[in-house]
Parts: sequence; C-alpha cells; structure tokens
Amino acid sequence: MKTPTLKSYFFRILPALLLILSGLQVYAGQGGVVATIKKATAPFNDEERVASVPLLPGDTVLVKTKYQGGIFWTETRKDKVERFKCSQCHNNKDVTIAGAAEMAHGDITSVHGGKQKPLSCFTCHKKDERDFLVTEKGLKVDMDHSYRMCGQCHFRQQKDWVGGAHGKRVSFWAGKRVVKNCTSCHDPHSPLFEKRWPRTYSRPLVK
Amino acid sequence: MDGTKQGNNMDSRQNNDCLKQKESNQLQGKQCGRREFLSRALKAAAVGSAAMVSGCGTGLLGSSEESALKWQEYFKKNYRLMTPEEKDETIARLERLAKLRKGVDIQMSSTEPVEDVLFGYAFNLTRCEGFMECVAACVKENNLDRKSQTQYIRIFEMEPGEMTPESGNGKYFHKVPVENHFYMGVQCFHCENAPCIKACPTKATWREPDGIVVVDYDWCIGCRYCMAACPYYGRRFNWNEPQVPVKEMTKKQHYLGNRMRAKGQMEKCTFCVQRSRAGRLPACVEACPTGARVFGNLLDPKSEIRFVLKHKKVFRLKEELGTDPKFWYFID
Ligand code: SF4
Ligand code: SF4
Repeated sequence: MKTPTLKSYFFRILPALLLILSGLQVYAGQGGVVATIKKATAPFNDEERVASVPLLPGDTVLVKTKYQGGIFWTETRKDKVERFKCSQCHNNKDVTIAGAAEMAHGDITSVHGGKQKPLSCFTCHKKDERDFLVTEKGLKVDMDHSYRMCGQCHFRQQKDWVGGAHGKRVSFWAGKRVVKNCTSCHDPHSPLFEKRWPRTYSRPLVK
Repeated sequence: MDGTKQGNNMDSRQNNDCLKQKESNQLQGKQCGRREFLSRALKAAAVGSAAMVSGCGTGLLGSSEESALKWQEYFKKNYRLMTPEEKDETIARLERLAKLRKGVDIQMSSTEPVEDVLFGYAFNLTRCEGFMECVAACVKENNLDRKSQTQYIRIFEMEPGEMTPESGNGKYFHKVPVENHFYMGVQCFHCENAPCIKACPTKATWREPDGIVVVDYDWCIGCRYCMAACPYYGRRFNWNEPQVPVKEMTKKQHYLGNRMRAKGQMEKCTFCVQRSRAGRLPACVEACPTGARVFGNLLDPKSEIRFVLKHKKVFRLKEELGTDPKFWYFID
C-alpha cells in the first residue's frame, strides 16, 4: 500500500474542510439585517446628511412631550377651527340671534365614547374656559395640543404616537420630526373612520 | 482624423448638444470613403459614441436628433459602471428624448444613496382599513403603465388568524373595512439577501448601499428569472409598451426609479427612490389615510421605524426562506 502523499491527504480532508467553511459562512451570515440594526447605535444627524430637508412648516407647534430624548412638532388645530376664538361669542354678553347655537354648532354630532359611556360636550369643553380644553384633572389644554386631551383615555395610542407607531409623519422622513396631530386625522367629535369604497381595486397578477 | 477628434471630445465629456450638432454638420459636408467610415465606426463603437451617426451613418439611420440619441443610448454602460459624468450624459439624453418623443419636460436625477442610511418599512396590520389610497398614489408617482394597470402594491382582505396573503382575498371591491377582517399590504420587501438579484443573468438588478433593490431598466433583457425567484411576487413585467398620459406623468424622476420603462423590461417598487433619497416619504406612506405605513432609516436609533421594531410585535413574511426582507408587519 502506498503511503498517502500530502496531496491525497488534502483531498481526503477536503469534504470536512468545505463543511467547516460553509458552516462558518452560515454563521457569519446569521442575524442579517436585524443584527445590522442592533449594531447601529450612533446618532444619525439627518439635517446634516440629507441634502434637501425642509424648513419647519408654519402651522406647527412644538409638542410638550419628549420623543426618544429629542423634540418634535405637530400640526396646529386652532387655525383650522372655524370661528376660533370661542370667547368671541361665548362671553358675558347675551346672544341675541335666534337659533344661534344650532347655526354655529348644528353640524356637530358627538359619536364618541361608546353607548355605555357617551361623552358629552362638557367632557372636554368647560363653561368658564371657552378657549381651552380642560382635562379630567382640571388641567387647561391649548387646542393645538389636543393630543394631551385624547391621551387621557387613549394613553396607549398616545404612547405609540409619541414613538411613531401610531399616526404619521408629515411628508419627510428626514429633518425635523413633524407629525399629524390627533385632530388632523380624527374628527374629535366622532373619531372613528367611516366605512367607504376603496380608492381602486387590485389587478390580478400577470406572470 | 475626424473620428479621433470626436472620440477625444467624447472623452473630455463635453456634453454640449450644440457642439455636437455643429460638428455633425461639418462632418456631413465631407466625402466619406468606405475605409474611413469603418475605422470611424470602430472608434465610435469603442467610445460608445454617435460618431457614426453624426458622421457618415446619417443616411443609414436617419438624421434626426432622436435616432442619434437613441443610438448613443444603446452603447451606455450598466449604471453601476458609469462615471458621474456618464450618468449626467445619459440623463441629459433621456430628458431630451422625453422632450422629443412626448413633448414633456422631465427632470431626472441620479441622486446617490446617503451614507449611514438603510431604508426600512413597517406595516400596521391593525390600522390598515383597505382604502387602497397607497395603490393609487404609487401608480401616479411611479408612472406605472395605465394600459395593463400595473400596480406594485396589493392589499389583501384577511380573515382573523390568517397570516399569509395567499389565503386572503386580493380581489375585494366593496365598502371597507369589513367587520372582523384585517387588511394586509404586500409589495417588494427589499430583501437584504434577495433571491431576485442572484437570479439575474445580466446583473441588471442589485441592492443599493441604502438597501433599495433597483433595476437598471436598460440592462434588463426581460428574461423574468428574477420574477420567478422572488418569493413575494414583488416584481412586475412590462408585457406592452407602458402608457402614461403626459399630463398625469410624474416629471421628477430618478434613473433607478420612476423614469419611463419600455416594453420587455422588469420593474418593481423602489421605495420611491426619487423621493426617499431626497428625505421625503414614499408616495404610499404619504397617501395612507390611517398611518398604517411607517418608513425610515434603520440605522438611526431615533427613527420611528426603530421604535416600531423595538416596542411592537413584529414579523416578516416567509422569514424561514432567509431572504431577510426590510419590511415588517406589526400589530398595535
Ligand atoms: S421582495 Fe422579491 S423583488 Fe423585492 S427584493 Fe425581495 S426577492 Fe427581490
Ligand atoms: S428580467 Fe431583467 S432584471 Fe429580471 S432577471 Fe431578467 S434581466 Fe435580470
């Protein structure tokens, strides 16, 4: 019998070598994008890095809650409320026009809070604080910061909203974080979205 | 010699249409021998230029500016091999061609990826109500063919407990949302380990450094291998010449994104590369009325997408295949 030369020896262990190599490769490939994400902890300054980040839009306010240690903005509400300020009518003077309440607020139907515990106007609006909202604890809330009002009951949604899992950013992923306010999407008086026809329909795939 | 002269011009990348026009006029006035023609043609092919067209080939191929541009387009390289100057040149040609063919002024860009950006997407199954605003916005933004009604996004109406769109209803058309159903959107997931890329014989499709999987439409030979390889039905093929009414066309285009494709070319969602690289949200995200779509930089620890991945229950489709998609589903 011939003694194995170096070359034939190499060929004998080749399958084992290949196995180890492929194993190593699988090991190195493990984790994929999730591992990449976990490793990325350095802050990313998008305002510096992305060339065309926008200026802050005019109709925004700084949110009074911190977002992952940073700050963010939300869309205003007061400028979208017809006839704000409320105290223009709701003041000490008597209202002389007949049917004024119906004329001013007849379009509002309150569908909020479910059948067992429907909300009334006075859950959020108070007689002696016409231009503000008032929380259950008696805290005065500016209408631009309506998220503080909604967050009393919908605290889970509020937490997600602050983080970015509920609601949506306005137009840009980069630059200053501007998100929609609760009232940008939900009518505070009947916040559920109505059923409607979809905008289009799916086409079957052509392969 | 004229050919050399023009070759040098091409090398110095003088992208000046007037100059070329003038030169070609000069060349046309000259007598061309067969030998001269051939050697010039060879050089032309070597530099991938239009020397032949603007020289003696005019009679052969028609003298119009359009066919000259088309000819030059044939000789361009794969996008990944182009120098910045070559990219600018082909963009100038494509803009001009769009003007000549359709009379439309487009602005095309080749914006490069931003360093330390890796795009990721999350889809909120609890929030989506099946309104399909995203589908319509995508068709508009990406200049998808109106004739065959190509759509990148599909929305499935799902029974509770179902987890794969295969068992969902992709053909619903009634008022939504329907009680006790949820809606699931599917599009290209921009896999980190994308099988479609491996399948392509011409290297016409690849993953950009910011994670977007793109197609160089002009390098695609239409073999549809990638389509067969994609486990998510993320790709769309142009069986006919795509048709988009000029007044509906999105004029801001990207070479790898929503520029006009041709018959026989593969296309797919590009996370709206023309928008996302400029810091904007993809059209589908912007159009969604329920905020079910979250988009952002996976490498930014403060991004919303990172918040979702950290604090929500997330899953990906067919994770066991190892395609490593950058598209997560989550529930509230
Ligand atoms: S979803 Fe399909 S087309 Fe998109 S990257 Fe993955 S394999 Fe490719
Ligand atoms: S269809 Fe185009 S992109 Fe897809 S594999 Fe074939 S050449 Fe590549």
